Amino acid sequence: MTESLRVTVERQEGFAIVYTEGYINNQGGEEIARVAYQLIDEGRKILLLNLNGTKIVNSIGISILIEIIEKMIEIDGKLGFCNLTATIAKTFEIMGLSQYAQIFPDEAQALAGLRTSA
Amino acid sequence: MTPLSREDWEDLLVLSQTETAARPLISRLLAHWCQAHHAEAAALYLDRGNLLERECTHGAREFPDVYDLAAPNPEFARGLALVRLPAGALLYAPGDVPLADASTLLISEAAKALRLQRQLKEQRFQANYRGVELEALYDVGLKVAGTLDLEQLSEEILLHAVMLLDARRGALYLLGPEGYRLQRTFGGEAEPAFENHDTALARFIAGGEAPETLLPGARHLLGVGIEIEGSPRGLIAVGDKESRRGVGPFRAADRRSLGLFANQAAIALENARLHLQALEKERLEREMSLAAEIQRQILPKGPPDLPGYEIAGWNRPDAQVGGDYYGFLDAGSGRFGLALGDVSGKGMPAALLVSTLHSALRLLAERDGVGIGFLERLNTHLADSSTANKFVTLFFAQLHPETGALDYLNAGHNPAILLRQNGQLDELGSGGVPLGLIRAARFESQRTDLNPGDLLCLYSDGITEATAPDDEEFGMSRLGEILTGYRHLPLAQMIEAIDGAVTAFAEGHPQADDQTVVLVRRVG
Repeated sequence: MTESLRVTVERQEGFAIVYTEGYINNQGGEEIARVAYQLIDEGRKILLLNLNGTKIVNSIGISILIEIIEKMIEIDGKLGFCNLTATIAKTFEIMGLSQYAQIFPDEAQALAGLRTSA
Repeated sequence: MTPLSREDWEDLLVLSQTETAARPLISRLLAHWCQAHHAEAAALYLDRGNLLERECTHGAREFPDVYDLAAPNPEFARGLALVRLPAGALLYAPGDVPLADASTLLISEAAKALRLQRQLKEQRFQANYRGVELEALYDVGLKVAGTLDLEQLSEEILLHAVMLLDARRGALYLLGPEGYRLQRTFGGEAEPAFENHDTALARFIAGGEAPETLLPGARHLLGVGIEIEGSPRGLIAVGDKESRRGVGPFRAADRRSLGLFANQAAIALENARLHLQALEKERLEREMSLAAEIQRQILPKGPPDLPGYEIAGWNRPDAQVGGDYYGFLDAGSGRFGLALGDVSGKGMPAALLVSTLHSALRLLAERDGVGIGFLERLNTHLADSSTANKFVTLFFAQLHPETGALDYLNAGHNPAILLRQNGQLDELGSGGVPLGLIRAARFESQRTDLNPGDLLCLYSDGITEATAPDDEEFGMSRLGEILTGYRHLPLAQMIEAIDGAVTAFAEGHPQADDQTVVLVRRVG
């Protein structure tokens, strides 16, 4: 697994999918935040974070993800996560992220779920 | 100062009642404050330890992200002013506006509420993250009953450790016979190995400085030993604890957390190691069992049928697979070939050479015949096929059944015993160089006759060198006495008698070498 985070984006009408590969730590989290805020500035109010390439998120990364969630709430947007490892999914649940962001098992279900609730 | 309208107040009231609208509320209040005080721009900062962190701005001016009250502020030179608030500060321009009014009070109270909210959020975050740590310990504990794959387990353990401690780097070492070996690394390079009693590493595990090469480039390291009942099994090391401001040293609480984690990891790793050992043992036993079966197939299944002769062979390896060999082959032109060999060494390597010997004997006999140079060709083949320290002693004979003429060669093996009809005991072919040692070795054939009533005995040194508890060897004399005393019995019973005599002589001393006997009696 690549430890430094790589972020790629697939832009679609009104929403975007952000793919992560690597460690979501301080640096990784900041990169995700940078991309997310840029997408928000572009007018996209639905973001899906696909964490298929990420096996590990530390507390700094989680705090940054929470900030992104708060920003999405502020702009009345929606944030979803998909393809989480069991450990990350459990961590998100304990940390309360699942109360404010939707968590899906895979991308297809995530896209269907986010579009439905938009 | 322009007062707030009724609508403004209603908006602000709505924002103040929404938990997630703290920032929009502050932003509105700041905008109102700037308007009220004719300020071009302002920024609200909240206290974060020794620093002030920018929370919100209004106006076109740039404000620093972080403001250090203890350091000189170049911004003042550019017309900025600062007023301290209970929860932080306001930075604003220009610096000559009056401040003691309701809007400043509103901002101050809103800032206090926001700071409290943030502190509460941080505490809740930390409390929840304790839950994550407990889950991580529980997860690793589950692995004790779950993952027995050492590679996968090592990765899980290291990732959990790095995640839990907010580290940027990590390394997991396992202690083996040759010292600490790097099992897994994360976030960068790590030293591949440390000696078992490396003093620098021991100091590090005890809380001292880390060896420079452990995680090259990491500035702050923490390491704990992985132990089972006080016995070291490995090491987990992490480097560079992250915060929002960068990296820094680990705390005492981190050492405690990592120590707890290492305890769980130790059990999981030990289970995986024992499982791996058990699998390896099982695999070896299966291979040995298979090798033993193959060896049994190589040795003759029963006595060959040679009119005018009785023939019997017997072999007992001292372990599952052995290094003794005997065989019968068609030597061409009506001749009957018999061989008895002993491969140097024990276990699987010896068994493999036995297999090579068996194949080579048959192949060469079939291809080139058993004539002049047969043993030389066999010697060359074995010398080329085996390693430098492996050799075979071999007694090989060709019998002309009709005449009883026996041509024999001895390559370093025990001399055969020929018991004559009249009771005379002859030794056949002592000396010679074992096969596979010297590529250019030459072997000289000798001849004798097997007359009616004569008995030829080939044997391995597992018979004559069988030892009693006092280290006395069975010896050729005793073997000769057994052959003489039981000469009139069927060959199978003679072999039983030899086996019985050797076993009785050993008096329970464990068999130390393979034992093989071949008997040939001319009856007609």
